[in-house]
Amino acid sequence: MTTSQAVSVLIEDRLITLNRAVGLIRRRNLPVRSLAVGPTDTPGLSRLTIMIHSDTATAARAVQHLQKMVGVRAATAFPAGEGVARELALVKVRAPHERYGELLDVVQLYHASVVDDSPEAMIVELSGSEAFVLSCIRALERFDVVEVARSGTIALGTGNDLQSGTLP
Amino acid sequence: MTETLTGSQILCRALLEQGVDLLFGYPGGAIMPFYHALPEYPQLRHILVRHEQAAAHAADGYARASGRAGVCVATSGPGATNLVTGLATAHMDSTPVVAITGQVARAMMGRDAFQETDIIGITQPITKHNRLVEDVEELAEAVEEAFYVAQEGRPGPVLIDIPKDVQNQKTEWTGGRAGKRTVSARSNRSPLRPSALLEDAARLIAAAERPLIMAGHGVLLANAYVELHAFAERTGIPVITTLLGISGFPEAHPLHLGMPGMHGEVHVNRAIQQADLIIGLGLRFDDRVTGNLAAFARDAKVIHVDLDPSEIGKNVPVALGLVGDVRDVLCSLLPAVARRNCDAWRAEIASFVRPRQEAFRGDLSPETILDAIDEATEGRCSIVSDVGQHQMWVAKLFRYQLPNSHITSGGLGTMGFAVPAAMGVAMARPGQPVWAISGDGGFQMNMQEIATMVQEGIPVKMAIFNNGYLGMVRQWQQFFHGRRYSATPIWSPDYVRLAEAYGIAGWRVESADQAADVVRAANAEPGPALVEFMMEQEANVYPMIPPGGSLSEPIEGEPAPLVSA
Repeated sequence: MTTSQAVSVLIEDRLITLNRAVGLIRRRNLPVRSLAVGPTDTPGLSRLTIMIHSDTATAARAVQHLQKMVGVRAATAFPAGEGVARELALVKVRAPHERYGELLDVVQLYHASVVDDSPEAMIVELSGSEAFVLSCIRALERFDVVEVARSGTIALGTGNDLQSGTLP
Repeated sequence: MTETLTGSQILCRALLEQGVDLLFGYPGGAIMPFYHALPEYPQLRHILVRHEQAAAHAADGYARASGRAGVCVATSGPGATNLVTGLATAHMDSTPVVAITGQVARAMMGRDAFQETDIIGITQPITKHNRLVEDVEELAEAVEEAFYVAQEGRPGPVLIDIPKDVQNQKTEWTGGRAGKRTVSARSNRSPLRPSALLEDAARLIAAAERPLIMAGHGVLLANAYVELHAFAERTGIPVITTLLGISGFPEAHPLHLGMPGMHGEVHVNRAIQQADLIIGLGLRFDDRVTGNLAAFARDAKVIHVDLDPSEIGKNVPVALGLVGDVRDVLCSLLPAVARRNCDAWRAEIASFVRPRQEAFRGDLSPETILDAIDEATEGRCSIVSDVGQHQMWVAKLFRYQLPNSHITSGGLGTMGFAVPAAMGVAMARPGQPVWAISGDGGFQMNMQEIATMVQEGIPVKMAIFNNGYLGMVRQWQQFFHGRRYSATPIWSPDYVRLAEAYGIAGWRVESADQAADVVRAANAEPGPALVEFMMEQEANVYPMIPPGGSLSEPIEGEPAPLVSA
């Protein structure tokens, strides 16, 4: 069954390693929905989260390919529904003066916040699952959405489903 | 006591520490500091090729024949990019090659300097690993890592790119700095192979009525000849060898069936389609082996043994996957399986065998030529083939007796492979005859290497199956493109005079009755020699499974001409 799968990879934080991991994902034709990368609590290691739309076997094979790469310390995959998967979005939106209150109601409804309120447009920050973020952006599209920046999804397995990598 | 050495000297020392004594390469601007240091290390023999592609293929051939990493060297830019086809060939066939490339000086990098190219970016998808050496302090470690990664687990090519100024940088040589990051990080990954799985495998084997062994390159890479032999004899299971598995099991053994797939014999493919169990040993179930996957071995459960876990289940669904070196797995499996025989099944397979009748001009058939080589070398030779029709004939018709005596480019199907790869094989097996067999197309792709053989005294015997066509493409045009022979007729020079120009012995054979004497004379030459065989021009390789077709539907003779509308 095809669902949203998180492939979570701990890699050495060098551009060449990131390049290699992403190149592998491209070469193996994985149906990628988003990529997110950032530092971890271990100096020298980054976490790359690749969201793919696939069955579990495809995700497992991606993990096996990634595990062979020099510079990959650990890799795992889990269905997004079996962990916590979140993304952050910044939405620049304009509204005519008379609909300003209506816009703030939408922001409040989605537990989003206004992080910039320039005269020309405001920037709304929101976070949540991919579906939640998309739903909020759709709600904001009732106004004049100028620009959207999304972080791509990051995810962690729940409970004792730990994944750690350490530099010797 | 420590010494202060340049990066180039450290590179030489580090190569020597890895046991390297042979390099195939070509100098140029960005690798000159290394070539400056090289004469100080006479234990490192350098073979000057005529094109860097040949250096990579020769290193590959050396690796396949010796089981040790082959080394090639090139300069930056065009030197490095010329290695690409050779590295891709090694990557597809899992052979350990270490490529060393010069790079422009660090201060020039990223500025489109003269002969600068991003060889790390270019070779990323076709190497097991690659690495830019950013400082001389990491050079010795980078070399150690390269050899470790190239040879550990499933082997593959590794490239290290060394900027010119790093080659000139000086530092203290402290000898082998063991305990490297990558080495320790990767060596922890031991495959999981619970004994319960072995018992399951033994049960499947005991229960099967129509089992087959399919042996691939993994058997050769793991040196599992003795174990495969013992396993086959204990269970009585017939053995199929894939293109890269050929010479992993004795050709003349009664349990040996032959090669499967696109040009596999009818009885071999039919056995696969009727099998109820396939034990795949170190093979990838490549599309040239399986044909249409949906129609492949529908009744068979598959036990897949491979060192690389990502291969298991990649192409065919498996009942049981065993991750590990073929030899290790067979050693563990052998005591678990009960002695049995498959006599009824073997008799059934024997009934599938069909005779074929093909006519060759002057009776000069591939069999005649291969028999002549077999006789002249008393079967003790290495055969290196190129890609195309002759490759299939050489794969199917030579009686390989020695383990690992058949070497060819399987996965990438690289025309031009045979001549340079044979140089590497000859260097790895001094004293043993090495025959490089090519078509007239592939031979012309790398025939410049005759000069290398002459200069370095590498006694490769070259056979050219000359049919005046790019024969395999022509065959496809005949079968699938209405006989439109587009760009497949190919002119050749006078090869006998070409041999003469290079100062080596050369012969042209036009009919079967000349073959044995000429091959014997060529084989007896102390140096390189060349024999051109004038072959039937439009002979075809039969049987043939059309691309994407099922193994059950072979083409066994010339198809009827298309009726034009």
